[in-house]
Amino acid sequence: MVNTNRRVMIQRTAATVGALSVAPQLLAQSAPVRLGYSMSRTGPWTGGAQTSQEPNYLLWAEQQNAAGGLDVKGVRRRIELISSDDRSDVETVVRTYQKLMGSDKVDLVLPPWGSNANFATAPLANRFGYPFLAPTALSRRLIEMKLPYFFSLLQQPKPMCDAVVDMLKANGVKTVACIYVDDLFGLENYAALKVALQGTGIQLVEDKSYPGGVKDLSPTLRSIKDKNPDAFVGFTYPPDTILASRQAKEIGFNPKFFYASVGTAFPLYKNVITAAGAEGVLGMGSWNSKTSAGAKAYFDAHVASQKKEPDRWASGACWAGLEILTSAVKAQGLDRKAIRDYVAGTTHKTILGDIRFEGSENVGTPGSVGQWQNGEFEVVWPAKIATARLNPNKPAWK
Amino acid sequence: MNARQILIRDLLVLFGLAGWAVALPGFASEFVTSMALTCLMYVALSSSWAMFCGTTRYLSLATSAFFGIGAYTSALSLEHMPWAQAVMLGALIAAAVAIVMGAAVLHLRGTYFAVLTFGMTELIRHAISYFEKSVTGTVGRVLMVVPEASTVYYTVLLLAVLAVALSIVVRRTRFGLAMLGIGADEQRAQTLGVNTRIIKIAGFALTAAVAGAVGAAMSVRWTYIDPHTVFNPFIGFQTVLIALIGGAMTLWGPLIAAIVFSVLAETLRLQVPQIYMMSLGLLLILSVLYLPGGLASVRADTFRGWGRDLRAWWADLRDELSGEKRRREAREKQLRERRHGY
Amino acid sequence: MSFSSWIELIASGLITGGIYALVALGLNLQYGLMRILNIAHGEFLMVGAFITWMVQTSFGLSPLWMIPVSFALLMAIGVAVHWLCFRRLTATSPNLDVFEARGLMVAFGLMFLVQNAISWIWGGDLRGYDFLTQPVAIPLPGGQAQFAVNKLLVFALALLFAGGLIALLRMTLLGKGVRALMQSPVGAQLVGIDTRRLHPLMFGIGLGLSGVAGCLLSMAYTISPSMGEPYTVTALIVITLGGFGSMGGALAGGLLLGVIEALGMHFTNPSLKALLSYVVFIGVLLLRPEGLFARKTRKA
Repeated sequence: MVNTNRRVMIQRTAATVGALSVAPQLLAQSAPVRLGYSMSRTGPWTGGAQTSQEPNYLLWAEQQNAAGGLDVKGVRRRIELISSDDRSDVETVVRTYQKLMGSDKVDLVLPPWGSNANFATAPLANRFGYPFLAPTALSRRLIEMKLPYFFSLLQQPKPMCDAVVDMLKANGVKTVACIYVDDLFGLENYAALKVALQGTGIQLVEDKSYPGGVKDLSPTLRSIKDKNPDAFVGFTYPPDTILASRQAKEIGFNPKFFYASVGTAFPLYKNVITAAGAEGVLGMGSWNSKTSAGAKAYFDAHVASQKKEPDRWASGACWAGLEILTSAVKAQGLDRKAIRDYVAGTTHKTILGDIRFEGSENVGTPGSVGQWQNGEFEVVWPAKIATARLNPNKPAWK
Repeated sequence: MNARQILIRDLLVLFGLAGWAVALPGFASEFVTSMALTCLMYVALSSSWAMFCGTTRYLSLATSAFFGIGAYTSALSLEHMPWAQAVMLGALIAAAVAIVMGAAVLHLRGTYFAVLTFGMTELIRHAISYFEKSVTGTVGRVLMVVPEASTVYYTVLLLAVLAVALSIVVRRTRFGLAMLGIGADEQRAQTLGVNTRIIKIAGFALTAAVAGAVGAAMSVRWTYIDPHTVFNPFIGFQTVLIALIGGAMTLWGPLIAAIVFSVLAETLRLQVPQIYMMSLGLLLILSVLYLPGGLASVRADTFRGWGRDLRAWWADLRDELSGEKRRREAREKQLRERRHGY
Repeated sequence: MSFSSWIELIASGLITGGIYALVALGLNLQYGLMRILNIAHGEFLMVGAFITWMVQTSFGLSPLWMIPVSFALLMAIGVAVHWLCFRRLTATSPNLDVFEARGLMVAFGLMFLVQNAISWIWGGDLRGYDFLTQPVAIPLPGGQAQFAVNKLLVFALALLFAGGLIALLRMTLLGKGVRALMQSPVGAQLVGIDTRRLHPLMFGIGLGLSGVAGCLLSMAYTISPSMGEPYTVTALIVITLGGFGSMGGALAGGLLLGVIEALGMHFTNPSLKALLSYVVFIGVLLLRPEGLFARKTRKA
């Protein structure tokens, strides 16, 4: 009798101990990883945010959860995205991140869209100790703020302009005309262009700035056409990129190299200008589905899940950032300081190639130039990441 | 209650609210404090706006201009002078610009004035953009020297209290009465000896000073300011909206409306953001049409009045549909013809 | 600069000005007649642009068909808006100043409402479509100038509608009634002109014109929910230049503004364009509030 009771008791104790040792893991599996962010779903920043950033966040969460959850040091935990609309208003962005990091105390945060919002939130994230991998923050000043928790994934103006100038120089261009939008982006890129052009023998025959949202660029384009430059470089935002392209077609301005920075990488450009019309147009782009097998997988998944194509510049950087975050969490768990050190100190393998950070700047991805060829935005410079050869003679506008 | 008692009542309410707001950061989370900060900002802006524009009926849309001027001033001067001085400098420069602007445009009335102030705001914005771009080669400013968040909170709180206190005091002085007179009938006020020009410019400058100080204080929250963000006309629009819906001629109206809207904004934003803006527009239309005195003018009688209007409208509709109206009009016409023969 | 370049520059200014004039005409009609400064005008323009775009991308229907449709639709919306919002104001406002102020505020509210309703329905993305963007060479005295077909079309249609409205006002009995109301509301009512019918109709026509302008604009430019505001501001500048209530003045003012902007952009900097427009605007408002082209019959 006593033996049976003892056996039963031992069995029961063993079962309880066994259960207790497994239970924490079960409980941990059910506790989701909370990631917070604010994104522009209304207001002027919506176009960019909904093309380059938010679809990637959603796709990533979807993919990770389909695999059982985010790998946190060996344990798979479901991702819970806590997001809200910031109405393209800086004050709202600040308030949202204060709530996420200060009150809700989420596990990790994802950055908002655009330089203005990142300027406001990067110091905040730094103070709270949350790593920030920003794919759409483009300003030298942000890097100069030397915030240890802030990482900018997109290439800075200097490498991008160096790439353009190298490409132009290698193709025998002698004269170039430039227009740039009236804000930090335009100004920084214009300054970088001028620096890059020094000593190359290429002459800047015209440089005009214009206010964002301008309705008619044809007077400026006409005077540029009169000067007949070999190349046209525009530091423009999507509406102005489309306007400049249309009006160049209208007045018959067709230089051998037509470069319009932002917007050319968006699928929107092909839709509005038509694929035939876009042939030969250059712009800021750093990847497409031919860049690597991972890139193609990402592209297809994006189209299948979000029902639209990713853009060929910032989207890639955004996804690369998410890849970095995934591997950081896998290696270091949810210890934010450890994640930060991991991100800062390792060379990461992503769909864009190797990414490495010096301070806040991504020095692994080189400056690059893309070109529309046969309905696809190919990377044509530099040769080591090119997906197609540069077409040095832009055909006439269709 | 006589005037003195009302004054004491107003001041007590103000101090009560101020005390509560001072204690807020102590027991609330950073997020709620942040919300309170925006609320206080609009209390300051709309109270000072209503003090001048509500009484004199000169609708100014230039709040964004003064806000932006204050913001730029603090961005440029924070590296050279302490916080309090930077904020006061923002207020001073904004007031100076207001004096110049006022001297030029305050002789026009109504829509001309509103449209003109809006045009001037945009002019100042583009002028600063252009100047920055050509002369200093930059657009926007990065604020490197930034005070603590609590400093900003207490500064804005102080400004809000000051704006409301100013409203309370001014409406009891000759200055306030003069402004009311200008609003009621400017020509008559002139004939009674009021120097309308000086009064208007002074009132306008006061409003601008508060807006400039608030702008100087708030700019540090965004770390990077550019003309597009700080001269955003929406700041001006929202100030006007809040003041009007609250009741531009009342004392507590703008304050009540500012609180209501801040809470509404936060709750709606997290659910359906466009609905917030749409409801803002709808509320404005409804309040202008049915409640021109604003929220603060709601009394028991207002509801009775609405009830009466609604019933009269319903009766009229019923009559029209049933043909009763036509018959009544025909009867009246017959009666008229019999009496007068035409 | 060669003569043909001058002509090209002025011609492109005129084309942009034609659109400004069309937008301003609707606004002018509403302000001149009813003293309602409808600053939501640009939002209704945006509505016209969006429905044209939607029909074009969903059904493939040419935007030319949408011109009469957007006019009719927005005219109906205009009549409804006037009946719902502005009629009560006329009844309850004690004097004209108060009515103008309240009308301005109601228009404010409409601006928020319409812009965000569209943004809610269609989202904030940038849209556009390709329509007749082939360039065509126009022989001009001194040389040739190249313009896109859709731009020329927009210019021609803008002039047509502007001319049509002016003709309506000058030659028809309805137009006479409207002009009479503009001159003296009380006097016109005394002679039997029905304000109650005319006001909503004219408000509707004003909005209909802005809808047509939106439809035309969608052919040549990209559209987004926030595109309306700059056009409202430009329309304000134009009617200030031309004089409140003067149709011919609005047309001339619009064309003039377009040319000033084109010349300004060419000789200085496009960034100065906005500055220039506002300086002109404020200058005219301060120095000659009745407008550059109006005769001094109406006091501000």
